[in-house]
Amino acid sequence: MKCESCNKKLATVHLTEIIENEKKERHFCEDCAQNVTNHFPKAPSPSDILTSLINQVSPEIREMSKTTCPVCGISYLEFRSQGRLGCPMDYNVFKKGLLPLIERMHGSSQHVGKVPANAGAEIVQKNEMIQLRKELNEAVERENYEKAAELRDKIYELSGNVEDGD
Amino acid sequence: MEIKDLSDNTGEWLRGTGKESDIVISSRIRLARNIAGYPFLSRANLKQRREIESLLRKTIIERKIAQDISYVNLNQATAIDKLFLVERHLISKEHAEGEGERGVAFGKSETVSLMINEEDHLRIQVIRSGFEIKSTWDTIDEIDNILGESLNFAFSSRFGFLTACPTNVGTGMRVSVMLHLPALGMTKHIEKVFNAVGKLGLVVRGLYGEGTKVSGDLYQISNQFALGKSEKEILSIIESVIPRITSYERMARKALVMESKDQLEDRIWRSYGMLKAARMITSEEILQLLSQVRMGVNIGLIDDIEMQTLNELFVLTLPAHLQKLQGCELDSTQRNVIRASYVRKRLDGL
Ligand SMILES: [Zn+2]
Ligand SMILES: [Zn+2]
Repeated sequence: MKCESCNKKLATVHLTEIIENEKKERHFCEDCAQNVTNHFPKAPSPSDILTSLINQVSPEIREMSKTTCPVCGISYLEFRSQGRLGCPMDYNVFKKGLLPLIERMHGSSQHVGKVPANAGAEIVQKNEMIQLRKELNEAVERENYEKAAELRDKIYELSGNVEDGD
Repeated sequence: MEIKDLSDNTGEWLRGTGKESDIVISSRIRLARNIAGYPFLSRANLKQRREIESLLRKTIIERKIAQDISYVNLNQATAIDKLFLVERHLISKEHAEGEGERGVAFGKSETVSLMINEEDHLRIQVIRSGFEIKSTWDTIDEIDNILGESLNFAFSSRFGFLTACPTNVGTGMRVSVMLHLPALGMTKHIEKVFNAVGKLGLVVRGLYGEGTKVSGDLYQISNQFALGKSEKEILSIIESVIPRITSYERMARKALVMESKDQLEDRIWRSYGMLKAARMITSEEILQLLSQVRMGVNIGLIDDIEMQTLNELFVLTLPAHLQKLQGCELDSTQRNVIRASYVRKRLDGL
């Protein structure tokens, strides 16, 4: 089969196009296919990533569609169409819908970094605990049991509760 | 503050100093922060917006966040002044194009800038010349701590620093390293870099951030993920990747010198000749010419021009800078003439 674009070279790339529910087979050579598909490596912007993520995880939209933030008044649907939240409280109000989105965006939904400088001792300790647990998991994965035992002891010490060592 | 005072000098990050500064132009980190108790900006009313602006402005100035702080109210700034600040990397394009009460505070050296009421209430930015991730982080970490003592930042143990867009939530941090990669661009190996870097959770962008195209062989590499990794982990990923890219670029340069020395040298000398002789230069063309000459200096072909001069020319020949310099509005033909004569003057002056 010859390439339908240049009519010279052998068609080696076969594409299926769907236009208004009509399937159409198309056949190109390597060179012409390049132009047609135009797969130039382009860095996606965060908003592109968000849009594509939003399109991927749609089932929760129906469930969340009636949810509105009592503080700022933004609805879940407004957030999904604009990609911007209305207030810090939305992370709680829309948690169910946001969790899968955030998981896909960052590969995680648990913060392990800095805490604000004026955060209370409780938050600081909680954060430290999260950090230590993460390090413990990594040590176990790497089969570094000496390090793991050390981290486990630290976690016990911090929690002041030998039972709370999951 | 008179923006005019800035127009014939540049920020310290263009000095061409720091590690690997032949290839790494600058290291930049920004942190996104919001004040607890206020909605994000898309939902803030005029009064709240004004309150946030004044609270942040006063705190930044009182706590002496940087030396000799200037503050520009962007709601009152002219279009050229706003473009000028974008060209200097003191504000983002989005901040320039925004609406309502908003501004930017920056120190005299232009290493530190704080955008108020951009997408988030506060965006802190520190930028340094060369591959200087650690010192850049130390500076921004300290600023964040000082401000965090006086202000209540929106934060949760689960999601970290809460931001208007969930892509920034967590650390709220974006690290960007600007690289000059002419040889990888010329030999088309740059696409391999894009692919490899993508697998590590990093993104490549053009000179002026999101969605801008690559010009002058300048690329920005930054982290895509802000949550689930600590600031230190994110920084160490970037710290380990950049040296691989710079050595790849150096290899590509060596290969070019070995395999097509005549073509390469011809290209570089022609570019240098154009810069010294042309009477009109477009903004597109100047980036290409400067990029070639910069590589010429790096491979030791050209030795009568300072790296700092070249770095600065990338910024000083941009449209708003030329208009500031000339003190009036210029159409694009006039700009091309002024650009060429300005470059000739700078190169002759050495
Ligand atoms: Zn063909
Ligand atoms: Zn809300």
